[in-house]
Amino acid sequence: MKFFADLHIHSKYSRATAKNLDLENLYLWAQYKGIHVVGTGDFVHPKWFKELEEKLESAESGLFKLKDKFAKPIDDQIPKSCRGKVRFLLTVEISNIYKRHDKVRKVHNLIFSPSLQAAQKIQTKLGSIGNISSDGRPILGLDSYDLLKITIEADPKNLFVPAHIWTPWFSALGSMGGFDSMEDAFGDLTKHIYAVETGLSSDPPMNWRLKQLDDFILISNSDAHSPAKLGREANVFDTEFSYEGIYKALSDKNDKGLASTLEFFPEEGKYHYDGHRNCQVRWHPKETIKHKGICSGCGKPVTVGVMARVEELADRDEGCKSKRWRPYQNIVALPSLIAEAKEVGSASKAVQEAYMSILSKLGNEFYILLDCPIADIKKAAGDVLAEGINRMRQGKVEIAAGYDGEFGTIKIFNSGEREHIEQQMVLF
Amino acid sequence: MEKPANLNQSQWQAVQHEGSHLLITAGPGTGKTHTLTRRIAHLIPSLKSNESILAITFTNKAARQMQDRLAVLGATQSRLFVGTFHGFCLKLLRDHFEHTALPKDFKVATPEDITGFDKAVLERISLKKSSQLAISPDDNYKAYQRYLRQNSWIDFDDILREALLLLEDDNIAGLLRRQYRYIFVDEYQDSNIVQNALLKVLAREGVLLTAIGDANQSIYGFRGSRVELFRRFQEDFTPAQILTLQENYRSAPSLLAASGQVMGGVQLLAQLQTQGKLIIHQAATDRAEADYVAHQIEKLIGGLDMNTSRRAVRSFGDVVILYRLNAQRHVMGQALEHLGIPYQVSKKPERSEVYSDEEALGQNEEAIEYNVEKVLLMTLHAAKGLEFPVVFIIGCEDHLLPLDLIGMKGELQEERRLFYVGMTRAKEHLYLTHAKRRQLFGQTLLQDPSPYLADIAEELKAYEAAKRNAPKKDPDALQMKLF
Repeated sequence: MKFFADLHIHSKYSRATAKNLDLENLYLWAQYKGIHVVGTGDFVHPKWFKELEEKLESAESGLFKLKDKFAKPIDDQIPKSCRGKVRFLLTVEISNIYKRHDKVRKVHNLIFSPSLQAAQKIQTKLGSIGNISSDGRPILGLDSYDLLKITIEADPKNLFVPAHIWTPWFSALGSMGGFDSMEDAFGDLTKHIYAVETGLSSDPPMNWRLKQLDDFILISNSDAHSPAKLGREANVFDTEFSYEGIYKALSDKNDKGLASTLEFFPEEGKYHYDGHRNCQVRWHPKETIKHKGICSGCGKPVTVGVMARVEELADRDEGCKSKRWRPYQNIVALPSLIAEAKEVGSASKAVQEAYMSILSKLGNEFYILLDCPIADIKKAAGDVLAEGINRMRQGKVEIAAGYDGEFGTIKIFNSGEREHIEQQMVLF
Repeated sequence: MEKPANLNQSQWQAVQHEGSHLLITAGPGTGKTHTLTRRIAHLIPSLKSNESILAITFTNKAARQMQDRLAVLGATQSRLFVGTFHGFCLKLLRDHFEHTALPKDFKVATPEDITGFDKAVLERISLKKSSQLAISPDDNYKAYQRYLRQNSWIDFDDILREALLLLEDDNIAGLLRRQYRYIFVDEYQDSNIVQNALLKVLAREGVLLTAIGDANQSIYGFRGSRVELFRRFQEDFTPAQILTLQENYRSAPSLLAASGQVMGGVQLLAQLQTQGKLIIHQAATDRAEADYVAHQIEKLIGGLDMNTSRRAVRSFGDVVILYRLNAQRHVMGQALEHLGIPYQVSKKPERSEVYSDEEALGQNEEAIEYNVEKVLLMTLHAAKGLEFPVVFIIGCEDHLLPLDLIGMKGELQEERRLFYVGMTRAKEHLYLTHAKRRQLFGQTLLQDPSPYLADIAEELKAYEAAKRNAPKKDPDALQMKLF
């Protein structure tokens, strides 16, 4: 069965997350987006874990569903066109901050668990090591290597996935807090890692350029800190609808269960280029080299982004594919597309209303972005948005790249173009 | 013999010294343990087959570290006893049990075993036992000893006193003197009168004693340690040579200068060229002080999330927070917890840790299963012998440092030494923070800065005000209002 999965999200118990990031809203928004398997996030947090125990029940093997009494009141809010099956998969992200070889390392890692028992084992272990109740994504002074060890010892079916591996400050291969290779970070336990998360600022072709990543399958998730951000990246599976199916798709090199991934345009990610946000210095890596890495604003070294870091570690030319490569599709979130079409802010009420209206006419967001005939979109939402989605599908977008924590900005239409598209419609 | 490259001239002199007792005065960071272990390793080859060396450390942990270091130098365990005074004396009592007046099944009572006695009474008895050789027992004392005897117990202090009694037997004392040809005592400034008496019995008839320590770091007077013993070493053990280690390999020059000023002009020779930073921070309240410390740590670590990230060379294990009273710990812990900073409270070496025997050693061994770094919180007393790149001393206030508060009063000179011990733990960054208003033991106290701060020259201090750095909004957090 084909299904969409977003396996890296957070709950309201993580820092800087939306207060409404609860199971009910995840259930709601997963259906708006068209996601069938959504991570629980934060399962190590005692209060969140309690909520999981209280509100979820076992469904397909290793997957959980929201109990009817919690789901029913929400179902009414969901347009019929969007209603779909939503399952939860136990996930957590850990922030590992530690010194190795005299350098401070900051690495974020994801753990997926097949059962509440397996999750609880990890919770107990980490609880004995550090503080797990003040942040849903706990900060531990634990070496990533030891976290991996704890993960596989707790249950061999646990999955360990280094998160957004290129993010400069907090990742396994990041320019600022990471290592030069997965082997450096995980040593002899590297073989227990099957998948890595590419993060928003890199896309699969960038990752294919590293031979050291050949053995890993690349997955993509939203890392959402609010329900509306769900699915900004996601995985498309075509396999058995269960934890086992997902486990096999990631761990078995011959399994084709992961069909493709949905990707941000990497330029849109917060760390694609180099620079300094506070100095408003945004540099292509070539520009950075020209300046010898020193910010022209403050004279300090710039934050080296993902593009430069990939270039630094790459040992293949652009255009090569890795052994476990999968097709991918770049997407732009529908609210951003609506905002771009209407020339209004993406947080505006107009966008919000249009979003809900389009969803109720056509179906969930993934359907609209990926599969819905352009003619249908035209009819339901107008020519400009239809053309915007069409261009997105073909990758015809202009993006001012993100840098040093600042998201990139997307441009699909040039000035005057929207009127032109609308007039064409009137003429023909 | 040529001087090894990893010893300086005075260390080498201490290692090679022959023919008399030796007191090595070793200030903080001067390579005390290094010199001691080198000297032990140097002497081992000169031992006859039935002879060995006795090395006394202050804690079990220090004993383990010394054993590890000696193992690296190739010193075999069979020629050595490394342990605390309590560990060594307990071994004596067990080995020569038939010559003691102890019941056959005697056990060592831990403080948890003892019930039915007031804590203050027990403290007074313990102080008596560790600070007087001849005790005139009062009623409490008699009742307590009777209670111990009824249970076939001896307490930690009795271990030493019973051993001293045992050594009155000349045969046994002689036996030990023929076996342990060299005796080493670390942290000599914190030894007490009973320990001194034990050493006097053992270090005779050709047995040579090497004591090492620093009178400026004597901080256990409140439980019977006598810094005078350090000063009268040459009278207790004759003939004796005194050597001084002055080269400091730990702290940045500016920090060393500052601690020297607090200790009334102590001048160690800075061997490092590192950049020191001594920051004084005044906070409105103890809570604000704790928040300041937590945020500084966040900064030193280079941010805990994407939005506060910056380059950093520190990790959690580089940082220690020191305080005078355990009561200060709670507020500090809350502030760290609030930011999600992992931390651990480290206990001071209690009697139970000072004491050791074979079983106890096994139990005290922490299972080092994983590599975990945490910010450490501990009292100034517990910080003895440790070093950290970054040190915070919180509550640098009059009446806390020196302590004179709600019925608790420290001996003035000892309080100063305690502060000196705290300052000299720092390698590069030293933060001395104080609050104007503090909640302690249910009271609100209006506090002035510690007088010690004024002893530090202005040019060595940087004053840092609390910055109200508004937390940067996470773009995600802003956009979550979207729908």
